[in-house]
Amino acid sequence: MSAPDWPAPITDRLDGSGDLGGRTVTAIAVLLAFLLVVPLAWLFIQTATLGDQIPALLTSATTLAVLGRSVALVAAVTGASILVGVPLAVLTVQSNLPFKRFWTVAAALPLAVPSYLGAFAFISAFGPRGAFVDLLAPLGIEKIPSVFGFWGAVFVLTIYTYPYVFLTTRASLLSLDASLVEAARTLNAGRFEAFRRVTLPQIAPGIAAGALLVALYALADFGTPAFMRVQVFTQFIYSRFDAFQQGYAALLSLQLLAVTAVVLFLESRIGADDDGAYESRGNRGKFGFDLGVFRYPAMLLPAGIGLLAVGLPIGIFTAWLFRPGTGLASDGMAFEWAFAANSVQVAVLAAVASLVVALPIGLRGANADSRLSRLAERAPYVGYATPGIVLALALLWFTLDVAPVVYRNYGIPLLVFAYVVRFSSQAVGSIRTSVLQVDSRLHEAARTLGRSRLQTFRAVTLPLIVPGVATGAALVFLTTMKELPATLMLRPLGFETLVTHIWSVRETGAYGQAAIPALVLVVISALSMGVILHQEQRT
Amino acid sequence: MNDSTRRRYLAGLGTAVTAGLAGCNSLLGGDNGESPSQQVEVPALTQLRGSGSIVEGRPQPEGTSINDLPNLSGELSLYLGGGEGGIYREFVEILEQAYPEFTVLPTTNTSSTLAQQIVEEVDSGASRADVFWSIDASSLAYVTQNDAVELLPEEVTAPVPDSFTGPDNAWVGIAGRARAIPYNTNELSDDDIPNKVAEFPETPALQGTMGWAPTYGAFKSFITAMRLLRGEDATRQWLVDMREAGTERYGNEYVVSQQVADGALSAGFANHYYALRVQNQRPDAPIDLAFTEGDAGALVNVAGATRIQGTGNADLADLFIRHLLTAEAQEFFATRSFAYPMIDGVRPVGDLPLVSELNPPEIDLSELSDLESTLDLMEEAGVSG
Repeated sequence: MSAPDWPAPITDRLDGSGDLGGRTVTAIAVLLAFLLVVPLAWLFIQTATLGDQIPALLTSATTLAVLGRSVALVAAVTGASILVGVPLAVLTVQSNLPFKRFWTVAAALPLAVPSYLGAFAFISAFGPRGAFVDLLAPLGIEKIPSVFGFWGAVFVLTIYTYPYVFLTTRASLLSLDASLVEAARTLNAGRFEAFRRVTLPQIAPGIAAGALLVALYALADFGTPAFMRVQVFTQFIYSRFDAFQQGYAALLSLQLLAVTAVVLFLESRIGADDDGAYESRGNRGKFGFDLGVFRYPAMLLPAGIGLLAVGLPIGIFTAWLFRPGTGLASDGMAFEWAFAANSVQVAVLAAVASLVVALPIGLRGANADSRLSRLAERAPYVGYATPGIVLALALLWFTLDVAPVVYRNYGIPLLVFAYVVRFSSQAVGSIRTSVLQVDSRLHEAARTLGRSRLQTFRAVTLPLIVPGVATGAALVFLTTMKELPATLMLRPLGFETLVTHIWSVRETGAYGQAAIPALVLVVISALSMGVILHQEQRT
Repeated sequence: MNDSTRRRYLAGLGTAVTAGLAGCNSLLGGDNGESPSQQVEVPALTQLRGSGSIVEGRPQPEGTSINDLPNLSGELSLYLGGGEGGIYREFVEILEQAYPEFTVLPTTNTSSTLAQQIVEEVDSGASRADVFWSIDASSLAYVTQNDAVELLPEEVTAPVPDSFTGPDNAWVGIAGRARAIPYNTNELSDDDIPNKVAEFPETPALQGTMGWAPTYGAFKSFITAMRLLRGEDATRQWLVDMREAGTERYGNEYVVSQQVADGALSAGFANHYYALRVQNQRPDAPIDLAFTEGDAGALVNVAGATRIQGTGNADLADLFIRHLLTAEAQEFFATRSFAYPMIDGVRPVGDLPLVSELNPPEIDLSELSDLESTLDLMEEAGVSG
């Protein structure tokens, strides 16, 4: 679903194989990638206003301490996501776990819940005066460990982001050549040794691709750490921005993007290491891990996580529906279905626009014969790692300086552009992956039979990469539905979406009113998860 | 809506908002060439007011009535700072219902974000909104200092005391928010709480029993006020002392107030209305408010409104802001969000002292926008905001 080379089927690729005219596509890809990062250049312009304060601010003790904490959070969340996501992927692909299909859905579903709503639900359940704290009190359990703090944030972020690792690992496992594992077993390797020595190296790029999305999400997220009261870099940026220090906020954002660059580099080291290219296409994935009697207790793992990550928030939101108010003597704002329609509208536009951008970049990235196309393929990830508020600000500065008319009169296109900058990397990754799995000899054959490049693309490549395209679109749709800070700032006047409505009522503490929009949001997002899982079956 | 329906609604309004209206004729300008309407569908007072014990037995609100003002008509673009966004939006909707030809296009975000967005927009000649309605004075001061506002005419700011308006009427206060000390009445009495926050660190009853929310905007304004009044060193030391005394950190001041009511904390630092919300939700909760005197702890900040530079819609913007300062609007804000009214004719809810009885420090609210030094100082004290 995302980035790098997991097992590429065939080694002898054509120049520009499987797609349209190589040079033209590269040029388009580079141009689009440039468009995606150019607004961020305004961060440098804004930072420059600080002048000679920069070195002192960069190295202040607080900055470094917060930076350290952010890096620790990212490392912990990424590590934990791998620990949760990989075993679940193995269980649901390779083992004889009962009801595998059901558990696959359950394990992927947390991605449909915005992590800040999850955090919110957790605090409502286990925080002070929480629903569960009240329930546990009669049992003599008066105090449970505080949900707040570093580990609370790691926990919440992990259960809502591990599905990225889960899904990419599944995709790798599904396309894994099981005959290699069988060969290893024949050579007397134990089950776990075979996994470690054969399977793991093959699926490592897949794991890394998911881990990359997890790491960048954790780095850029503001809401969850804020709810869990952990002071991370994004909160630091917000706080300075709140104090009208835009220059300082921009400087801090650049530091955050430097961390992003390091993460991208680390991931590309793993991704580049693809000696595991295989030759056979038969016998994919279905290799069995016999759990024996443990197959029933093994169900507890996906069940527990699904209950915690999805069941709990839905339960809490539902409970809010029946809870008395917030102390404000007011009915507050009513929910309107138009909010949901608005959310869906911009999310669909963002998904379509992202595909337009991601197709050329993904096609070229898969045949990364030049440093330029490799760079173009990495560039969209910068937007993904940029906190929403920073991206919104950069776009505000950018459009006001370059095209104020667009800012004033074309709110929706601007908003959609913001989403594309922020999320198109997910589509790039999944398209690139599916292109890698297209056998270039098919393309070659079509060309030999006299088809033009465009015809070949339409007749051969496109049908084969449809699952990757659909998955990419669904991921962009899903994340756009959940996006808050850029939506708040860049939406046209009078334009209310599900998340902006949740934000407004949350500000007043009117949790009960957040319940319906939150449930609607989760249901719509869950439907787009369905698209992703459905595509999986086709690969 | 036709006239007969309007009159029917007016009849329903009864005598609710008539008591104080006789003396307000000076404001009846008929700006739009319309007679001040006797035709507007203003909901009855019982509908405008909040419910619950906290609003029982209130006197009639006095001041300019919505009925004294010309009709609102046309489209108004509004930047609305978060906070009591729900309550404010609700009032805007009431106005939209009352005036069928009046539409508001709102967008909400945090007040500080909107303030910075406005300044950027005005700089580029691409501003989108006519009115900025902020939940605190620092954001209003920021747009004022960056020349992104137009000065309001006297008739808009007249009902509000000078201390709650911006320099040269750059903005006008809509609702007051006083700093206060919510305390648990089972643990403490009013006498246990010193009348200066400076004495809190040495007060035994407040050692390790208090809570605060340093990331919350109103808290930062409180620390800014202390810095302006007592200097950086004393403020830093105060923060360190309170931290070392075991003051606990929370995400917002509503939670602090809830914790006080639960007895988990004996007292806290919070805006006054949070304790009232707790009381309104749980009438028996053992929570009350103490106010300090003449220091940062007695700061009264305001939500306020201003007209954005370059709006082509000045008359409508002004008339809209005047509607926010009517007896009905002020009664609405006072009884729904428990804010301090900005006009004389409306009392704060419950047994809250009048604004004139509070003893706020001598601070120009416009100075509260200098948050940079405050944040640095809070970081140095280990209480980062």
